Parts: sequence; C-alpha cells; structure tokens
Amino acid sequence: MPLKCPETISGGDPQMIQLIHVSKYYNRRAALADVTLDIEKGEFVLLMGPSGSGKSTLLRMLIGAEQPDDGHVFVQGKNVTKLKSSEIPYLRRKIGTVFQDFRLLPKKSVFDNVALPLLVQGASPVDIRRKVTEALRAVGVDHKRDQLPIGLSTGEQQRVCVARAIVNGPVVLLADEPTGNLDPGLTSEIMELFKLINARGTTVVVATHDPLVMAQVNRRVVKLDQGMLVPEQRVWA
Amino acid sequence: MGMRTVFYLLREAWANLRTNRTTTMVAILTTAFTLACVGIFLLLYVNLRAAAGWLQEDVKIMVYLDDRVSRESAAAIEQQLRSDHALASLLFISKEQALGEFKAQFPSESHLLEGLGQNPLPASFVVTLSPQYRAPDAVRRWAERVRTITGIAKVDYNQDWINALATFIRSIELIAIGVGVVLSVAAVTIIGNTIRLTLYARRDELAILRLIGATTTFIRVPYLLEGAVLGALGSAVSLIMLKIVYEVFRQQVRAMGRLAGLEQMVTFFSPQICLALIVVGMGLGCAGSFVSLRRFGEAKV
Repeated sequence: MPLKCPETISGGDPQMIQLIHVSKYYNRRAALADVTLDIEKGEFVLLMGPSGSGKSTLLRMLIGAEQPDDGHVFVQGKNVTKLKSSEIPYLRRKIGTVFQDFRLLPKKSVFDNVALPLLVQGASPVDIRRKVTEALRAVGVDHKRDQLPIGLSTGEQQRVCVARAIVNGPVVLLADEPTGNLDPGLTSEIMELFKLINARGTTVVVATHDPLVMAQVNRRVVKLDQGMLVPEQRVWA
Repeated sequence: MGMRTVFYLLREAWANLRTNRTTTMVAILTTAFTLACVGIFLLLYVNLRAAAGWLQEDVKIMVYLDDRVSRESAAAIEQQLRSDHALASLLFISKEQALGEFKAQFPSESHLLEGLGQNPLPASFVVTLSPQYRAPDAVRRWAERVRTITGIAKVDYNQDWINALATFIRSIELIAIGVGVVLSVAAVTIIGNTIRLTLYARRDELAILRLIGATTTFIRVPYLLEGAVLGALGSAVSLIMLKIVYEVFRQQVRAMGRLAGLEQMVTFFSPQICLALIVVGMGLGCAGSFVSLRRFGEAKV
C-alpha cells in the first residue's frame, strides 16, 4: 500500500525544507533520483554539483514551478506537491528567489523593481517606501534607486535582485547560480550579503557549481550528481 | 483587490497600450473594419426589418359578411371582432360603400354591375392584426377561427404574400446572425493575436511576476483591460465609419432624386444601440484577451 503523505506536517519545530524520496524524470532521464533531504530553519546550505545535476530542478520544486514524479516536498511544514495552483503564489511570497540572469524589469527603476513583490501583495505606499528603502540599504544600492537596471554594473544588478528577494521578509531565500555572471570579487560580496541575510534568521539555499563559493562560505554542503545525493560533508569555519 | 492594486493594474494596461502604439493602432483599425462589416449587416438588418414591418402592416384581411345578415347581426359581429385581442384595427365597409369604391376604381366597368339590377358586392370588415399575430400560422389560425362565426361568408387574405414576407424576414435574421457570428469570431481573433504579441514581448516580465507571487488575476487583469479598450475603441471607430458611409449614402440618394422618400425611411442606430455595440466590442476584446492568456499560459516560471 502506498504511503499516504499529509498536506502539512505539524507539531514541534518543523524543518524549513523537507524532500522525501523525491524523483523527477525528463524523457526517462532522472533529473532527481530518490532525493531525501532536510534543511532546518535558519540554516545556510550550499547545493553543489555540475550543470545538469538537478540543482535547479530541486529549487524549482521548492517554489512549486515543478512537480516531482515521486515523493513529497515540504516547505515550512506545507506539502508543496499538494498545493492547488491558486495557492502557489502565496507560497512564493514567503520565498525570495535570486537568479544568475537577475531577471529585473528593464523599463522599471531599481525602486520599482524592488517594490514589485510588495505591490503584488497589495502593500500600502508607506510600507512599500519603507521596506524598499530598507532592502536597498541592506544590499548597498540605495543611492541607485531611481536608475534603470541597464545603468547598473552586474554586481549592482545582482544586489538589486537580492533586495527584491528579501524585501518582504521571506522565510527562505533561494539562489540559483547567483554568482555565475560575477567576477571573484563580486562573488565574495554577494556571498557575504547572503551570510548577513542568513544571520537575520532567513534560511538560505544557494545552488552553485563554483568551488570558490564553497571555499568562501564554509557551511553545510549538499552535493548532487546526476540527480542523486552524494553523502554529505559538513564544512564549518 | 485594493484600490492601489487596481490603479497599478490600470496604469500597466495603459502603459501596454502606449508602449505598443503601432500594434495598438493596427489592432484598433482592423477590429474597426471587421466590426464595421458586422455593423453594415446590422444596419441593413435594422432597416430591412423596419421595411418588412411596414409591409406587414399593409397586410389586410378581408372578412366578408353573408348578404342575408341583418344590420343588428352585423353590428354584433363587429362587436365580437373588436373584442378580439389579436385585432389592431377594423374598418366596416357596407355594401353601398363597396359599390362606390368599385365604381371609383373601375369607372369603365361600372355598367357591368348596373346590369345586374341589385348590388352584388357584400359588406365587409377590413382587418389588420397586431404585430405579434402577423406570422403566417397566426394569421391562418385567426382566419379559420373567424370563418366559423355565423354570418361570415368568407375570410380572404393574401397567404402567399404573408408567407413570402415571413420567409424574407427570417432569411435576413439568419444572414445577420451568421455574418455577425463569423465576423465577431474574426474580431476576437484579431484582438487575441494583438494581445498575444504583447504577451510574447513581455514573457520575461510575466515570468518574474509569477516568481514573486503574483496571482493569476493580478497578471491577467491588465491584458483583459487592454483587450476591452481595444474592443471598445475598435467598435467606436467602426460606428464613426458607418455613420460616414450612412450619411454619404443618404446624400447620394437625395442627389439622385428618383428615390425620394427613401432617405427619410433609412435610419441609423439609436444612441442606445451604439452604446450596446461599444459594450459588445468591449466584450469581444476581453474574450480575445482571455483566449490568448489561456493559450499563452502566462509564461511559466
């Protein structure tokens, strides 16, 4: 008899992220194969592995953009695989996302880009102004608030992207190859920023194939290879 | 959805229209031409329907009285007919009046009747039925019912003419509905394609919106509004085009002089119908947008 999985996990202090025997196949090729993984609240995890190892697929599952073929995914105790499509936007409001290609709106100012998640939630103009200013200050680009993304350096664009991801105080921050377009100096800056965000209590998951990032961060490393989890190694500073 | 969100969505819809000015103009004009074709048929339909209505009013039913019926019985029959709710008007023509009319209409033939010694023409009622009783079946049923009244010799009307008229009206209706449906689908497709172009151009933006937790409604509303504006403007422009064509037609008819009176008979849509057509345009625009949004899937993350 198949194991019936609940819609939520209650009781105690639930894990922030839980994957239970998760598999995903594309054209019969396993992008993820029987992955079971727990990430605690407030943890900083590096998801490492070469291109095509399943890192992005795993992150996309956490925001409900992909459904596993087998297994269950829980975020903050909620079974993402059982969410209705109308509930997914509300899950995403709790998760900040940062991408390699920044994904900023080119025709909107830095301020408007960062304000977008708040606007979507119907925040008041006063709240928007306050929170956007805080987020821009936190990432150090407050002085560029009225500029268009095209006028910013790549490092600044990534900072704006981080500001947008943290502006509504997410419980989890997911970053998919956030330093892929950055030089080592900027990589270091962005990773320091993630550490600061993590220090405030946000769970941070960074997917990367860059060994430099691993060396800089010195936190828990989860390795994926051809969709399978490699036994973990913990590196502490 | 709060007022702030509504303002944001309205601003976005307006920005979409402004950013894609050329596409917007092309969409409005193509929609206008398509809806103008619908409009021409609608205008033809309205005018032909009105003309058919006048023709139907002209359909008279003759109810002939038996020559043996007394004056009192004739009055009683008249009373009975007048109380019929199907009746719109009734005119009594006595034997003498019938003879007078015959003589007036055919003066050269009047000697034929004189030779008979007595007036052979019967007294009659000229009846017009109410509009809802002018369909061929209704007329036939009414005539059959009246025929059974004692004292009535014959009920006469031009059945072929009534049938032809009814078929003509039904044909106009069917053609108008057919053309209307086909061209409305065309309008929906045109607007839908315009919106799809916008959606395609903004697919990255839509993906970002999805990513940061925008609901389907939040994403769709600006595009539905855009479709509604395109539809409404297209409809308004088509009405302006039709009005110009209509006025030119009237002027041409007036200038010809031969069809005097026709220009007085043709009518344009009433303000209420114009408003309704703009609302229909809006609806078609929304439908076009909706179809495109459904097909496009609003850019998956």
